[in-house]
Amino acid sequence: MSLLEIKNLHAKVGDKEILKGISLTINAGEVHAIMGPNGTGKSTLSNVIAGRDGYDVTSGEVLLDGQNLLEMAADARARAGVFLAFQYPVEIPGVSTSAFLKTAINAKRRGEGKPDIDAVDFLKLVKAKTKALGIADDMIRRPLNVGFSGGEKKRAEVLQMTLLEPRLAVLDETDSGLDIDALKVVSEGVNSLRGPDRGFLVITHYQRLLNYIVPDYVHVMTGGRIVASGGKELAEQLEAEGYAKYQAA
Amino acid sequence: MAASLISAHPFGEAYAAKAGTASGGRWAELQRAARAEIARGLPGPQHEEWRFTPLTALARVGFIPAAAADDVDVTTVPSDVPRIEGATRVVLVNGVYRADLSDTATDIEIASFAPNDATGQIALAELPLVALNTAYVTGGVTIAAKRPTTRTVHLISIGASGSQPLAFHPRIVVTAAAGASLTVVETHIGLPGQPFFANTVIEVDVAEDATVRRYVAVIEDGDAFHIATSGVAVAARGTYESFHLGLGGHRASGTVRQEIHARLNGEAARVQLGGVYALGGESHHDFTTVITHHAPGASSQQLFKGVLDGKSHGVYQGRVQVLQTAQKTDARQLHKALFLTAGPEVDVKPELEIAADDVQCAHGATTGSIDPDHLFFLAARGIDEPTARGLLVEGFVADALSQVSDETARDALQQQVTAWLRKRGGAL
Repeated sequence: MSLLEIKNLHAKVGDKEILKGISLTINAGEVHAIMGPNGTGKSTLSNVIAGRDGYDVTSGEVLLDGQNLLEMAADARARAGVFLAFQYPVEIPGVSTSAFLKTAINAKRRGEGKPDIDAVDFLKLVKAKTKALGIADDMIRRPLNVGFSGGEKKRAEVLQMTLLEPRLAVLDETDSGLDIDALKVVSEGVNSLRGPDRGFLVITHYQRLLNYIVPDYVHVMTGGRIVASGGKELAEQLEAEGYAKYQAA
Repeated sequence: MAASLISAHPFGEAYAAKAGTASGGRWAELQRAARAEIARGLPGPQHEEWRFTPLTALARVGFIPAAAADDVDVTTVPSDVPRIEGATRVVLVNGVYRADLSDTATDIEIASFAPNDATGQIALAELPLVALNTAYVTGGVTIAAKRPTTRTVHLISIGASGSQPLAFHPRIVVTAAAGASLTVVETHIGLPGQPFFANTVIEVDVAEDATVRRYVAVIEDGDAFHIATSGVAVAARGTYESFHLGLGGHRASGTVRQEIHARLNGEAARVQLGGVYALGGESHHDFTTVITHHAPGASSQQLFKGVLDGKSHGVYQGRVQVLQTAQKTDARQLHKALFLTAGPEVDVKPELEIAADDVQCAHGATTGSIDPDHLFFLAARGIDEPTARGLLVEGFVADALSQVSDETARDALQQQVTAWLRKRGGAL
């Protein structure tokens, strides 16, 4: 059984059809990249997988480990193993990063029928992971993402991914707003999570990110469809030639 | 004019006959004048300061003076009121100081309120509920730090009715002499039963270089009326900090008004007011503040947050007056309300009156509901909606709570907010 199976997915926002028949299969252990110009439906795809409101799926299926994600609320999808790394992580004033992380970890544990994490174990775990990601100790005491730099926000996203150990991580334009150093750190964090039990869907406009998170498969998306698929060399070709020939097609 | 006062109310001659009178002296005179004032009526829906909290419902209840009831017997403090470590407990039952339930202290003076203890901070004519308190004052307590010391007092005010609805009018006087630091944690609760009306007046006198902190929690799960009017005077370099929590239960229909009048009389005086109200059911909560800057170089900060559910009603009226003598004033006020459903209402009236030309003043007010982007972010991390909403509501009030400088008090207040959220449970 595949980790993620998307079958002929159509979705609308209002009256406008954005996804016009997406089919994609990701097996455990694989990293897939979706590249495409702006406004082509890449973020819609990630939001539909994660279960955001405001999208009307008119036909098709999205299965995670055989479970129909489209019948599940966003929080249940996350507990089932979907992790969306946001392009623009929201700032939540008043909610400390630490309280948020603990709540998220416990949500997952409760979903698995486990007791809440012990306070000391939580601190030890977070300390070890923040250190590995080069995150300052005080960051987890600050309100979630409030006043974080672009790099800090993306590191915080990777920290969450590390702690929640998803089955499928969807990275939505994770490279936007990152300088090269932050990009390297974030990519290393992602790469350290690659493994035989986990799949990645990396959505990006630019090839740059894929120099650091090297995909197994690359798909080109324009006009709400996947119009070409190939190996990592496809990304390099796109960088050199642009999207023009796919858009014209 | 007729609608500005409610002339039919329970505090007329029959009430006076049961309440008795003060014996002679200055207070007897004040009491006569106050009773004449009350005879004219209670604030009604057209009364400018009371139009968002009209006392129409209060006036319909046949209250009798608590002192006239012979079927109320409170012998202990409810066990759900926690003991605060290191704090001196002071207990009032229906407005009467109960030495038998209270602790003693050696570095401060604690005594049943005697009329001559009134500091006179509150102008009688302007405030009808203070007049009502003066007319029928039932006792109360005086807490005085007469020399430099650091002390925390836990004041527990219990309202309990017997077979009839009771009213009581305590006066609480808090004074801190030069260099003293007094913290008063106040828990105002009601025992189940007939409605009661607690009409409390608190006078606070902060001397030069002294500090008074008050952390007030009014928890109303029933249909009682709590009106607490504080008159505060702060001398040079003195600090007055108060935080007021108002919780209205999810099946409550009570009315709470916490009104604070603070005067910054001395140079570099500081006043910091904060508050959070969280209301369910049909409960009503009103924060009314009047800050007057008399002296130069003083600062006042106000931050109030409201969380509204059910068909509750929140009110914030904040007036800041900066007199011509109060140059270099720094005065800020902010009120934010968060609606959990479409049912509640909020009325907000911030006012700035500035006569000095070299001041920094700011005020603002916002209302909103929970941001769906925040909810989605939390959902995408596996957090179910009730938990996510609870986290966001706690986050919403966190900056107001974070102003509470005493860590123990802050934690206790936070826990009360959390308990309120939990009681709402899965429906949040």
